[in-house]
Amino acid sequence: MSEAPPTETRVDLGVQPTNTRVLGIVPGKPVANERKEPEREDLVMVWPHLLVRHGVAAMAVLLLVMVIAVFFDAPLRDIADPTNTPNPEKAPWYFAALQELLSHFHPLIAGVLIPTAIIIGLVVLPYIDRSPWVTPRHRKVAVTAFTAFMVIWIILTIIGFAFRGPNWGWVWPWDEWHGEL
Amino acid sequence: MSARRAVHGHVDRIRSAVVTAGMDRRGSIAQRLRGTTVGRSIFRAPTRATPRDRAAGHWSSFLLHIYPVKMRRKEIAFRYSWYLGVISTVLLGSLIASGIYLMFFYVPSPESAYADIQNIQLEVTFGQYIRNVHRWSAHLMVLAVAAHMARVFYRGAYKAPREFNWVLGVGLLLLTLLMSFTGYLLPWDQLAFWAVTVGTEMAGYVPFIGETTQEMLLGGPVVGSATLLRFYVLHVAVLPVAIVSVLMFHLWRWRKDSMLDTDSGEPTSDDPVAGGPPAADEVVIEPELEEFHV
Repeated sequence: MSEAPPTETRVDLGVQPTNTRVLGIVPGKPVANERKEPEREDLVMVWPHLLVRHGVAAMAVLLLVMVIAVFFDAPLRDIADPTNTPNPEKAPWYFAALQELLSHFHPLIAGVLIPTAIIIGLVVLPYIDRSPWVTPRHRKVAVTAFTAFMVIWIILTIIGFAFRGPNWGWVWPWDEWHGEL
Repeated sequence: MSARRAVHGHVDRIRSAVVTAGMDRRGSIAQRLRGTTVGRSIFRAPTRATPRDRAAGHWSSFLLHIYPVKMRRKEIAFRYSWYLGVISTVLLGSLIASGIYLMFFYVPSPESAYADIQNIQLEVTFGQYIRNVHRWSAHLMVLAVAAHMARVFYRGAYKAPREFNWVLGVGLLLLTLLMSFTGYLLPWDQLAFWAVTVGTEMAGYVPFIGETTQEMLLGGPVVGSATLLRFYVLHVAVLPVAIVSVLMFHLWRWRKDSMLDTDSGEPTSDDPVAGGPPAADEVVIEPELEEFHV
């Protein structure tokens, strides 16, 4: 058996004598091996970590707008004519749910009470829901109520936008298209 | 040549190797520019060597003043906010830029409005394209603001101390809808005319003040030249100023409220305690944050 090489690590410092050893360099953090995995709760600098992400999000949405604008022209119908009422008369799509409600309820309810109730409800929400919990399983009432409202509103919007034709009658959008953007 | 000097030389070599290995080679040019006389006059914290310097640089920057210096990693991830607030703001910027361009070629009177739109589409350089950008940005902004509100709700981000910022957000949603609705009339085509007729009829249903409100909006009993002028003034002057003002307040509150950072909740956590607020003695303000945040 040949002799085992010495186990201690020698660093060639390029200077004499060679019997110097680096035992440790302090202070400082380890350069490798002991790198800490970043955790979700760790604080990071907003620049660059958040601002780069925001920049990418901004460019992505601008690109989307530019691409849509290249391929789809904004609508322009005939010049306004107060004597010629189109059938159906349609409000902009974000009021389609209200218009759909108006066809079912008295105008005072659908046109006044419901929108007012929605606005007031949204404003007072954080003052009613005082629980500090943020996990969905601890705020079932709030999550259920909000989700129910949102689903109903989206369905009404889609019906009012795409499923209503002349005299606000039901049409299938693939038969007759009456939606306007 | 002592052994001690030798070790120091070794450390220096390691340090310079780390630096040239790309710790901040790009930054070194910026660093030098910030160090010049002009740079020093612009940047209040020209040195950016240590994390402390960078925090100071951020803290003293005008452009970055609406952002906190540091945030938790989870808060900057896409899935936390879907960046919907940023997206809404970018769309507002796109609308302001394209809207100003369109204003150069548009006169709000029933005699000229429709012809002006035709002129924009046919004659004006990039007119059709800019009009398209304005229109689609507007629709997307309504969607983005609504989605932002939903995301904030499911995040539970309207809870203390952010209640009032939620209220400001509701105001911004309403202003966005009003901006979109007033702009809808301006092309003065059949679509615009009747959509606004239907929309303003709703105001007439309000008891007692309904008819007065409707007449105030329309400037008469029906949609006409007074309506067009009123909607135009609201669309290009009153509402933009209102929305930008409320937005500044909204961002200011976001930035101030994010300092307190009481959100320790994990929506997907199985730990029942994780969703609740931290106990008072658990709130640790990092020394660096204390210095540059508060």
